[in-house]
Amino acid sequence: MLQIENLHVRTDGRDILQGVSLTVERGEVHAVMGPNGSGKSTLANVIAGRPGYEVTEGAVRFDGIDLLALEPEERAHHGVFLAFQYPVEIPGVSNMEFLKAALDSRNAAAGEEELSAIDFMRRARGAADRLDLNPEFLKRGVNEGFSGGEKKRNEILQMLLLEPTLAVLDETDSGLDIDALRIVAAGVNAYASPDNAVVLVTHYQRLLDHIVPDYVHVLVDGRIARTGDKALALELESNGYGWLADPAS
Amino acid sequence: MTPAETFAERTHAQRVDYAPWLDREASRRALAEHGLPEPRCEAWRYSNPNRWYQAEPRPSPSAGASPRAVGARLVDFATADDDARTLVRDHLHTAADRAKHPLATVNDIAMRLGLLVHVPVSDTPAEVELGELGGGIERVLVVVDPNASATLVERPATPTHRVVECVLGEGAQLDHVRLQPPAESVEYHLVAARLGAASRYRLAQYSQGASLRRNDLHVRVAGRGGEAEVRCGYRLAAGTHLDTQVGVEHEATDGVSRQTARGVVGDRARAVLNGRIHVAPGAQRSDAALTTKSLLLAATAQLNAKPELTIYADDVRCAHGATVGELDADALFYLRSRGVVEEAARELLIGGFLAEAVADVAGDDARALLGIGR
Ligand SMILES: Nc1ncnc2c1ncn2[C@@H]1O[C@H](COP(=O)(O)OP(=O)(O)O)[C@@H](O)[C@H]1O
Ligand SMILES: [Mg+2]
Repeated sequence: MLQIENLHVRTDGRDILQGVSLTVERGEVHAVMGPNGSGKSTLANVIAGRPGYEVTEGAVRFDGIDLLALEPEERAHHGVFLAFQYPVEIPGVSNMEFLKAALDSRNAAAGEEELSAIDFMRRARGAADRLDLNPEFLKRGVNEGFSGGEKKRNEILQMLLLEPTLAVLDETDSGLDIDALRIVAAGVNAYASPDNAVVLVTHYQRLLDHIVPDYVHVLVDGRIARTGDKALALELESNGYGWLADPAS
Repeated sequence: MTPAETFAERTHAQRVDYAPWLDREASRRALAEHGLPEPRCEAWRYSNPNRWYQAEPRPSPSAGASPRAVGARLVDFATADDDARTLVRDHLHTAADRAKHPLATVNDIAMRLGLLVHVPVSDTPAEVELGELGGGIERVLVVVDPNASATLVERPATPTHRVVECVLGEGAQLDHVRLQPPAESVEYHLVAARLGAASRYRLAQYSQGASLRRNDLHVRVAGRGGEAEVRCGYRLAAGTHLDTQVGVEHEATDGVSRQTARGVVGDRARAVLNGRIHVAPGAQRSDAALTTKSLLLAATAQLNAKPELTIYADDVRCAHGATVGELDADALFYLRSRGVVEEAARELLIGGFLAEAVADVAGDDARALLGIGR
């Protein structure tokens, strides 16, 4: 479904990604790990189409389509979703208004009918419930004054509502206490299916106790230094990332 | 002679047949003494008053809803009885200052319609709707009796030159909403309010731009403990011009005032926003604040915003802050990444920004006017 080939990305005059290749198929869960500053968010952002990154080499294809040629909203319409590491606060726009606009655009792009306000509310409340979020929070400004954990749960709420085929979750575990982590993990696990794929971006192995990945990739200095299964994550936990950076190992 | 002088002379010499019982002499004298503003004078730095003199304000044919009121009396100056005339004589110009607002003296002399809104005490707040008044040059005098309360909503459909004077008695309350739809006209408006002791006046003005729309909003906290709020929300489409001059004067002790403005300025549009707080000697324990937030949508959008504080009392609280920005690129990307197409995402952000300017009273009308929501 997702093919990343030899991806080189530059931002602010610095080469951040230096030849990343990665293939993700439906039904798979991938973890992308790596130390801070290794380029994990850069990779996630480039997939989602965030402005400010220059792809200097390589390609990203999604179901055969050149993803890099699409606007961010078009990528979303094709089923790409990014849970932000730092969700944005938008005062004055209610969470509900935001979610409805997102869902309406997706349905419009798919040629489907707009959800009635009642159906929308039912679905939004249901998703909030699953994430143990007070429905009152749908009325608040988007992420406005939300705690770190609420922001992350709000990202997952959007994922549940938008039902993407590729969900890239950037450090969704950070800022969550253990209960919230369990709730979020349960949401992701319930969502993961043979029809979609999840890419977990994290620098802790903690999340992987709750969401078991099929593949673990380690990004170091803008390259995938190692790919393995869950055992690799455990190895990283005990040994750190240092040994991977060493070309001799 | 300059256009200002010519216009002043013509106005001065005008023979008036509307409500001839009104005493226009003081206004004629003020006009003769102070004249009319010339281009580029301090108060008209960014808006050329010649355009107003040349626009020749005219009566407009009546259209839309006529004024209606529940719990208040509406009297046309032309048909005012002795009782109403007394109210008008006692209150006209107690809020509006001829020397400060010379264009309002033109309105005094040349008005084609005057309306007295009298709000007596009642168990429930009065509700007044001023739709189309049809005068073109219009004068509204709102007298809120001590301890009386009212909401007043102005929604003219066609361009007007309107001077609204609000006089609040002790303990009175007035929620005043002005809705200014988009127009291609050149307009002058003055709202002048005078607050009695412990009264509360809240003005919310929601505006789209016009060819030139000038709003002078002048609030005098004249009685002890009066509370004033002036709220402006505006959205200027491409090429339009809106000049808003807000002045709040604390003349008595323990007054509170809040000025807030939020505006969005489009392509080649210009917003002028002057916010003034004046605390007179002796107006101790005044508490005044002024904040403006502006969003510029294009490199060609222009904003001239200036706070002005003149404080002659020592025990006061006075705060002001201003921000100017563009649409938040991160927020825009956030929305687009959720599938909201760029144009809709921009609208959503603009709406969110302006939504914070909207008060409860006539909130739906304000949102509709500002194009907020779907
Ligand atoms: N928009 C940007 N502008 C400038 N530098 C950036 C930007 N995004 C990322 N970087 C830099 O790129 C490197 C990788 O960042 P990032 O992708 O956020 O790493 P990670 O998510 O793995 O911590 C860091 O050195 C960071 O400072
Ligand atoms: Mg990161």
